[in-house]
Amino acid sequence: MDTLGRIRQLAAKEFSLNPDGLDPNAPLDGLGIDSLTFIEFMFKVEEEFGVSVSDDDLKAIKTLADLERHVAAALAAGKA
Amino acid sequence: MAARRVAVTGAGVVSPLGNTLEDFHRSLAAARSGIRRLAPELAGRTGVQVGAALDWDAARHFTQAEAANLDRVSQFALAAAGQAIAASGLDLQAQDRGRIGVSWGTGMGGAHTQEGSYKQVYGAGEWRVRPLTVVMGMNNAAGSNVAVRHGLRGPFANYSTACSSSAMALGEAMRAIAAGRADAMVAGGCEALLTPGVLVAWQALRTLAPADPADPAASCKPFDKRRAGLVLGEGAAAFVLEDEARARARGARIYGVLTGYGNSCDATHMSRPDRDGQIRAMNEALSEARLAPQDVGYINAHGTATAVGDVVEAEAINAVFGAAAREVRVSSTKSLHGHLLGGSGALEFAAALLALEQGILPPTGFLEQPDPACGLRHVAREAERIAPPRAVMSNSFAFGGSNVVLIAERA
Repeated sequence: MDTLGRIRQLAAKEFSLNPDGLDPNAPLDGLGIDSLTFIEFMFKVEEEFGVSVSDDDLKAIKTLADLERHVAAALAAGKA
Repeated sequence: MAARRVAVTGAGVVSPLGNTLEDFHRSLAAARSGIRRLAPELAGRTGVQVGAALDWDAARHFTQAEAANLDRVSQFALAAAGQAIAASGLDLQAQDRGRIGVSWGTGMGGAHTQEGSYKQVYGAGEWRVRPLTVVMGMNNAAGSNVAVRHGLRGPFANYSTACSSSAMALGEAMRAIAAGRADAMVAGGCEALLTPGVLVAWQALRTLAPADPADPAASCKPFDKRRAGLVLGEGAAAFVLEDEARARARGARIYGVLTGYGNSCDATHMSRPDRDGQIRAMNEALSEARLAPQDVGYINAHGTATAVGDVVEAEAINAVFGAAAREVRVSSTKSLHGHLLGGSGALEFAAALLALEQGILPPTGFLEQPDPACGLRHVAREAERIAPPRAVMSNSFAFGGSNVVLIAERA
């Protein structure tokens, strides 16, 4: 499964949502995800991918697609 | 204007004796014990042999995602409070929920969350813990979860006074309604601290009973010459307390009327109980309820089965009740459901309601050789049936010297 697919799976599990119904470009706060819930979710994303997203980067993440870009960049940086 | 009287209009229980009020009452009436040998993963290397754990399947109450973000203690609280609200018949959507609050009690709060976090840090050396650790583990999480789940925006308080926590929560909720600060309150308490780190601390206090060699279920024997200490348990009990006039106007079932609340502090010692402190709390409750000792037909004693505690409580009851002590039936149901610490006051109030409503007096299980130093009219081994008494009393005496006594009267 690609990075976005794994993130969608994680999000679906965390928020009890159907992964197929998750629009990667939809704003996360529109899904009823508050900041604390999002931080808890980010913790699990970091565990899943073995990456660390900085506080500054965290503030820029508004959608699952944003999140995928940051995770992919962190993974690429880790490999470099 | 006379203070408003406070009716109990809903009750819910999750306990080692069953996960509804009805199952809890049935188990008490049958003198069934929920005390068992502890599973090795719970006991660890603590040396603690027995406990009263809940038969708990979170998936029956919560989605996987919900359960993952709720400490076990909050899961218990939500389950018990949900039952109590449903039983009350209150349609919360139609209520002014700014006039309905939550009054909760717990000794340790989210013990599983706290311990899990420490285990990760100190045990595994992983200095990275879940971001929800704080809000899952904090002491007021259980009560706050109840408020959030049901949108109860009235007065909120969380009491943490060890073994009297939830009895205090009920008493203070009663006062909030009587004073007109709320029309109804969800009041109760919970505890879920059967974790190796907590158990080993209790074991160090040398107050826990070892397993009865013949029958582990009979390990806790309050008021018996053979008593060897308390057995820790877990669970929750919750009630809907309501302005009586309002409850009657809507035709609610009234389980009883909470009329007396005594609250005192020994102010003598952190763990050794004090007769005078207990006497003051019982007298205050009787005085508030305007009852004479002979009006009370049943006392659910604190009765933890420690060597000193049971004697002091028996002396205090005799001092308060005088000649009436020969008649008032007394039992400690901790023999059956274990000691829920912060949750015990609420759970034992639920046990006392069985006596109040149905005249079924739950027994002190396994009391076969009463200690002459605990001279009381015991309900021993088996439940006793009497005509429903006018009033019942429930005692909760805590480490730290906090004494809380509740009195409920027939509706």
